[in-house]
Amino acid sequence: MAEQTTAPVNTDEIKSILDKHKDQVKLSLKLCAHCTLCAESCFLFHVKDKDPRYMPSHKFINSIGKLYKKKGNVSRKTLEEISEIVWRKCVLCTRCYCPFGIDIPKMIALARQICRSQGVVQQFDKE
Amino acid sequence: MYDFIRGPFAWAALIIFVIGTIFQLVRYFSLSKKAGIVHYKTIPAQKTPESAVQLPFMARVKLTILGVSPVTVITSTVFHVLLIITPIFLVAHGVLTDVAWGFSIPAFSEGFSDFLTIVVMICGAYFLLRRIFSARVRAITTLYDYIIWVIAFAPFITGFMAYHHMFNYNVMITLHIFFGGLMLIAIPFTKLVHMFYFFINRFLMKSEHTFGKGSRTW
Repeated sequence: MAEQTTAPVNTDEIKSILDKHKDQVKLSLKLCAHCTLCAESCFLFHVKDKDPRYMPSHKFINSIGKLYKKKGNVSRKTLEEISEIVWRKCVLCTRCYCPFGIDIPKMIALARQICRSQGVVQQFDKE
Repeated sequence: MYDFIRGPFAWAALIIFVIGTIFQLVRYFSLSKKAGIVHYKTIPAQKTPESAVQLPFMARVKLTILGVSPVTVITSTVFHVLLIITPIFLVAHGVLTDVAWGFSIPAFSEGFSDFLTIVVMICGAYFLLRRIFSARVRAITTLYDYIIWVIAFAPFITGFMAYHHMFNYNVMITLHIFFGGLMLIAIPFTKLVHMFYFFINRFLMKSEHTFGKGSRTW
């Protein structure tokens, strides 16, 4: 469960984090040919009956990709959705393989950093 | 229309392709930096588990992307190789360079080029069907992917149709030159940029899966 808070989202802070890695994020999103060859390299994809939402590409497009496309202008609800992806659907085992060499774990870690900067984190200890 | 497409448009496409490519390469080198030297801690040979070093060749292949998705990887490899060599070694294109600049490179026979074009189109059909019917591919497919598919395959489809005089030849050959130019323009500025960023990312960038030295980093 994501931590419940009503504090407003500091979009400037998100933007400044995104700007620091803008080049790599932009190129990674552009380079992803949506080929789905990364799917089989994710153990969670196998464990979850090959649910496409567990594909590394799906996770990175819908987390950091979403943040980048919206230029950081996201609601708390969106951040909570992203936190579900980057913590619940990925354990950052860094075993995903991209034929184009996209550093997917770094992209997921960056999305985690952005969520964390806004206090949106998963509270595993309170379940 | 034909004169415009084969004249100013074709030149503009070629110039945009060359300048766009140079722009992307310069941008890459200005945005990335030299990576520091990493000293990897290696496991002493005598302590390496035997099972790890003596895995049969086929078992190791099965662990690679080729072993996991053989059809897609083989189709993709064949497609990408033919995408480059089919138009370069085509007789008709050689005639064009000969008429324009007085030189031409050796070409495949017309029949063989025709066969290669058919193979490219079969690969295209595979990618399209996969995008429509495979749930995992569909999950991350957008309209943009279909546009890129059209840009990549239209030059081959129209070229094939023009060669075989299907429908109206003048219309087909004009469309063929248009889509060829469109593809050149699109390469540096769309997802097709992977044509050279694949090599940069896999050979130059420092990463676990690098094919080269991995001498640069962001």
